[in-house]
Amino acid sequence: MSIFCLGVNHKTAPVEIRERLAFAEKAIPQHLEEIRDLGTVREAVVLSTCNRVEIYGAAEEPESALDQLIDYLIDHFSVEPGEVEFYRKASEEAAHHLFEVASGLDSMVLGETEIFGQIKKAYATAQTSGATSRRMNKLFQQSFTVGKLVRSSTKIQQGSTSVGSAAVDLAEKIFGRLDGCRVMIIGAGEMSRTTAQSLQSRGASSIIVSNRSYDKAVELAEELSGRAVHFDDWSNCLDQVDIVISSTAAPHTVVHKEMVEKVISSRRGHSLFLIDIAVPRDIEDDVNDLDNVYLYNIDQLTRIAAAGVERRKEQIEICRGVIGKFLEEKGIEALVDGPPKPRRSPDFPSSDSSSSQESSTGDPLPDS
Amino acid sequence: MDDLYLIISTLIFLAGFILAVVSLRSGRQGAVRLNLWLAIAGLILQSLFLKERGELHGRCPITNGAEVLVFICWSVVILYLALGKAFRLSLLGVFSMPLVFAFQVIAIISLSMNDPGPRPPATLDPWLELHAAMSLLAYGAFGLAGIAGIMYLVQDRQLKSHEPGQLFYSLPPIRYLTDAIQRLLIIGTAMLTIGIVAAFFMEKAPDLVHLLASGAVWLVYTILLAVNFGRHLSPKPLSVASIVAFGFALVTLSAL
Repeated sequence: MSIFCLGVNHKTAPVEIRERLAFAEKAIPQHLEEIRDLGTVREAVVLSTCNRVEIYGAAEEPESALDQLIDYLIDHFSVEPGEVEFYRKASEEAAHHLFEVASGLDSMVLGETEIFGQIKKAYATAQTSGATSRRMNKLFQQSFTVGKLVRSSTKIQQGSTSVGSAAVDLAEKIFGRLDGCRVMIIGAGEMSRTTAQSLQSRGASSIIVSNRSYDKAVELAEELSGRAVHFDDWSNCLDQVDIVISSTAAPHTVVHKEMVEKVISSRRGHSLFLIDIAVPRDIEDDVNDLDNVYLYNIDQLTRIAAAGVERRKEQIEICRGVIGKFLEEKGIEALVDGPPKPRRSPDFPSSDSSSSQESSTGDPLPDS
Repeated sequence: MDDLYLIISTLIFLAGFILAVVSLRSGRQGAVRLNLWLAIAGLILQSLFLKERGELHGRCPITNGAEVLVFICWSVVILYLALGKAFRLSLLGVFSMPLVFAFQVIAIISLSMNDPGPRPPATLDPWLELHAAMSLLAYGAFGLAGIAGIMYLVQDRQLKSHEPGQLFYSLPPIRYLTDAIQRLLIIGTAMLTIGIVAAFFMEKAPDLVHLLASGAVWLVYTILLAVNFGRHLSPKPLSVASIVAFGFALVTLSAL
């Protein structure tokens, strides 16, 4: 008996293929039952997200099980034989792959955390459907441990990977928690909207929108549950906000040093974060010279995001080293049949040792 | 034995500082946690040193410059451990370690060159003990405020430069640092006020130089707080002022 993995992801298949292979969430228990009825697959977990469709399983003969699964997918989804190239992994390779996925190393945005929750959900669905037993329980519990270990012991999550996330990270380094932070948007463009939404998702509130076309300001303000102000009035609101996102189409600067200087004394020592994503720039460069005012333009944000991506790429091998060490320490003897390998004393967090102890009974562990 | 406690504690703080620098450069978070345990171990050894010295003198162990320095270090570490988490400033300890290490090295050298030995009081005056202990705890709080000020200036520079380095991701948000500076200044000034008030109840009146020096430090911090709350001082001048004020406090301490 050994574990295996069959799947496609954003690197191996275009979205046209992935969307055809995607498992409807509600239908997964039914599919799991059908997969186990194939006869060769003893345990199974289906992981279906927008970037990947993967089936993890345990079988006496993994190769036959993988062939049967491909036939099953061709029969049940709108794909033709030979149209899709599935990756097939067995034994330690399959475990390593899941651990990389759980650590965010296989994600489109390197190191992202959403996949961790998606794996938990996929495992919970399979477990509730009775499709998992000792091997899948052990494999997935280990993947949760490895996912946490990689994230806590490396810099894979550090730094921003997009202009929006760079702006949010900077805001958090200025204000800490963004709960209660007030935001003003000058120029109701798409980039302003997404940046404001990113800030909102971290707790920012009281969004004020100003635009030359007032109707457009009202429209965006409604979408963001904020309020619109006329373009002539935005400067009067400058002392009421903590973050300004500016992206007007003006051919000249609209936010001047004197305007900011005037309001800064009334801000009682509170910082002001100005995000200028307009080209040509909306905010005078020397505003950044003012004490307690932080100005970032689109190039500076893009550079931070690019550096963040590079920093994360540099972490891939370190993360793989952590995963490799984990597999070396823990071995995969519980996942495949065969004589147990001698164990070295682990130097991983204690939560993990409880994981291996409990999962040997097949009992699920808490996910968090 | 007391010297040994002090030496080991100093080495622990050095190790903690080196570990912190390495962990900050590598971005590994586990080392910061280990650093906390090192601070606790260092504190225990500092406490043992002060206990032995206290038993030697039969009074609060601040009878010479070396003991005063160790007592201030002890105050810095205990305040960091007590308040660091509440202020969401786990790195405050990391930045405190060079100061603690430097002060304790001076204390070790001073004791090895000239240990004045036991100095039991003629009579034990609880007001004197309260005055001394509260004043030095206040110095600990002022020291931490100065360290938070340095952290603020580093983070402000990173933000202004538009090229954040590794430290940027490890340092806390500037708002938390500003809040911590303000709170530590309040705590320190309150403690120093209690210390000075206690001096007026002492059996033997304090000498004029001592009184003037303590009063000057109290005045500097009280003016700083008054200006900050009255005119809402911007965080950068507040940080600079907290560093300069602590420097002044150290100068007056050496005068005592």
